[in-house]
Amino acid sequence: MDEPLGTPLSDVDRLVAELRERVEQRRRDGLVPDDLEEELDEHFRRIAAHRIPPETDDLEEALEELNLHMAFGAGRIRHESTVLGGERFHRAVGKAVARQTHGVLEQVQEFADAVRQVLRVMADALENPKVHVHDELIGMFDGIHERISAFERGPVHSEAAVADLRRRVEQLEEAESKRQFRPWFLNERFEAEFRGSSSELLDRYRDLALEFKGCSPVLDIGCGRGEFLELLAEAGVDGIGVELDPVLVQTCRDKGLDVDTGDGLSILSARPDDSLGGIVLIQVVEHLQPQQVVDLVALAYDKLRSDGRVVIETVNPQSLYVFAHSFYVDPTHHHPVHPAYLAFLFREAGFREVRIDWRSPPPVDDVLVTSESDDEVVQENVRRLNTLLFSPQDYALIATR
Amino acid sequence: MEIHQVLVTAAPADAITNAALEIQRLLHRIVPTSKVYARFIDSRMGSKVLPLSDYPRGSGRPGDVLLFHASIGEPDVREFLLERPEQLVLIYHNISPAQPFLEHDPVFAALLEGGRRELADLAARTRLALADSQFNADELVALGYEDVRVSPLIIDLTGLRRVPPDPRTEDLFCTRATGPRFLFVGQLLPHKRPDTLIKAFHILTTYLIPDAQIALVGAGRLPRYRRSLERFVQELNLPGVWLAGLVTDEQLVAFFRNADCFVTASEHEGFCVPVLEAMLFDVPVVARGVAALPETIGDAGLVLPPDGDATLLAEAMAVTVRDADLRSELVERGRRRLDAFSADRARTTFLENLATVV
Repeated sequence: MDEPLGTPLSDVDRLVAELRERVEQRRRDGLVPDDLEEELDEHFRRIAAHRIPPETDDLEEALEELNLHMAFGAGRIRHESTVLGGERFHRAVGKAVARQTHGVLEQVQEFADAVRQVLRVMADALENPKVHVHDELIGMFDGIHERISAFERGPVHSEAAVADLRRRVEQLEEAESKRQFRPWFLNERFEAEFRGSSSELLDRYRDLALEFKGCSPVLDIGCGRGEFLELLAEAGVDGIGVELDPVLVQTCRDKGLDVDTGDGLSILSARPDDSLGGIVLIQVVEHLQPQQVVDLVALAYDKLRSDGRVVIETVNPQSLYVFAHSFYVDPTHHHPVHPAYLAFLFREAGFREVRIDWRSPPPVDDVLVTSESDDEVVQENVRRLNTLLFSPQDYALIATR
Repeated sequence: MEIHQVLVTAAPADAITNAALEIQRLLHRIVPTSKVYARFIDSRMGSKVLPLSDYPRGSGRPGDVLLFHASIGEPDVREFLLERPEQLVLIYHNISPAQPFLEHDPVFAALLEGGRRELADLAARTRLALADSQFNADELVALGYEDVRVSPLIIDLTGLRRVPPDPRTEDLFCTRATGPRFLFVGQLLPHKRPDTLIKAFHILTTYLIPDAQIALVGAGRLPRYRRSLERFVQELNLPGVWLAGLVTDEQLVAFFRNADCFVTASEHEGFCVPVLEAMLFDVPVVARGVAALPETIGDAGLVLPPDGDATLLAEAMAVTVRDADLRSELVERGRRRLDAFSADRARTTFLENLATVV
């Protein structure tokens, strides 16, 4: 039973025919009752109609019974007596007080009619709650039901759970504070020491700034001393910078650049959708956590307008030279981001064009050399080693939305 | 030139509202002032949609365009549209048929019926009608519309792929039962036939896969109908059925990412976005070949004959989760099928159609 169907979907009609045949076979074998579906339909119809008769039959009977006893009258007062002449006596008394008896009977009749009316209304109400005040009640049930479902879907709170949560948050905060890097040296001094002079950076990134022609405004996340923003201005592109370090922000502002202090991802996510023409991150993603990189790419897609562009320049982990020279100089480097992975992220996020530009080859003096007189195998091996060790130190990923 | 959009109701997670906002994004490149107006606005919408009463009454010129998204009936909107001087372009995502609602909510059925009557009233006034499926286009032609074109829904599904799944929902969905996980996404309304789906699931778990489970994800907008379904599930003793109600995007993604098969017993769909969402998440699709479903699914799903009963549906559900070759074939076809509904392509078609009236 239930063998795979061999040639899946090569012909949907055939597949469906086979499924039908299976159903028929099951019915013939008595595995599925013939009238099962009708029974289920009937079952649901009964529920949907919601006409499950309330238990008012007994009440109805009692009401009917009541009607039989509703004819009050002096004639129904018995006069018989076991004493000789007693019956006549009773009749005489009856006649004498007839006026009073009648008066009392009238009042009883009035009262009984009123009671019967009340019972009638109550019986109706029980029988058909929909037409009476119960609408509101049903509405309340619906509301409560909705809230219970919402509650079941949401997280469960209790004092113990909250206390536990608070304790765990405190532990996490403590652990996190130990992981925080808060150096006493100035980032500005660090940049000057290791990232090269401003004029070197200007020469190094001029070509990347040109990628943003016609892409105003461009958000430069982690803009540092603002060199790239200067290059953008040079290319006639409006640039906005974001930088975590307030000292560097001041340096930028002194140059007349438009720069905010803060976390780049938060500032990016606060921007309206479709409001940016470009986003640039120079030597930034290697500082981010994996989840931040993923979030960054998704946010970039949302915030860029169509045809907008992202440029991410970062160290190239395919070059082992990088790890011996520059990567570990910066203690805040989290881990390098592989170009293949980064390109995958951008394509998955929906960017239509993604390319990689290889940058900063290691100095020629460091690369392994061969001479023509060397053996061919030696030459090939050196070539392979050079590829592994001395590939370009950086790459820029350029993605268009 | 001005181009504005008008809808009856604007709410989050509503297909028509989303379509209007997508169109607005597109129009902003051409007409930066383009706005979306609605008669009723859910408070969660913020300022994305403006109240129809704010529509600048004296402003319209005959060259301007009003895009109207037709849905349920609303006399105010009808009056408004009939009075305006702008050219009217009608966008039709389908109005649910009133008949299946009669038994469960006569008032709502009357609104739907009203929507259909209004649609007929607007035919003469409409310059161009855009339908997101051939099925919808045929309905408009039957109502007396002349210039009717098919313009696929602009849906940017890639956005959904970037939504992280809700871990709690994933956990619940994956630990409720050990067997395969089926998923239906859509409002719990009579024409989507959740009752048939529950019936099929009952047959599936009774005779074919006892440990299967199914999540029905979507708002139960008719409380009484929803209660009937809950009671049906209860009385049939089906702990594997999860009526999950309205969910967030994160929860929705959690369902799609963990489902083994998307199944619908619906007998009326004007387009059916969830089918494409299933394909996006590599979930094979089983459906009945009714309304717009065959044209949306194409060859990328197990489409059963329109008269197929719940027993056949159960059989199809079983084979889809058991037959690995069939599954991978369906998933592969699903990926290819998505290309046909790429947002860029839909945008181009929409603009080309719009260009004929501006």
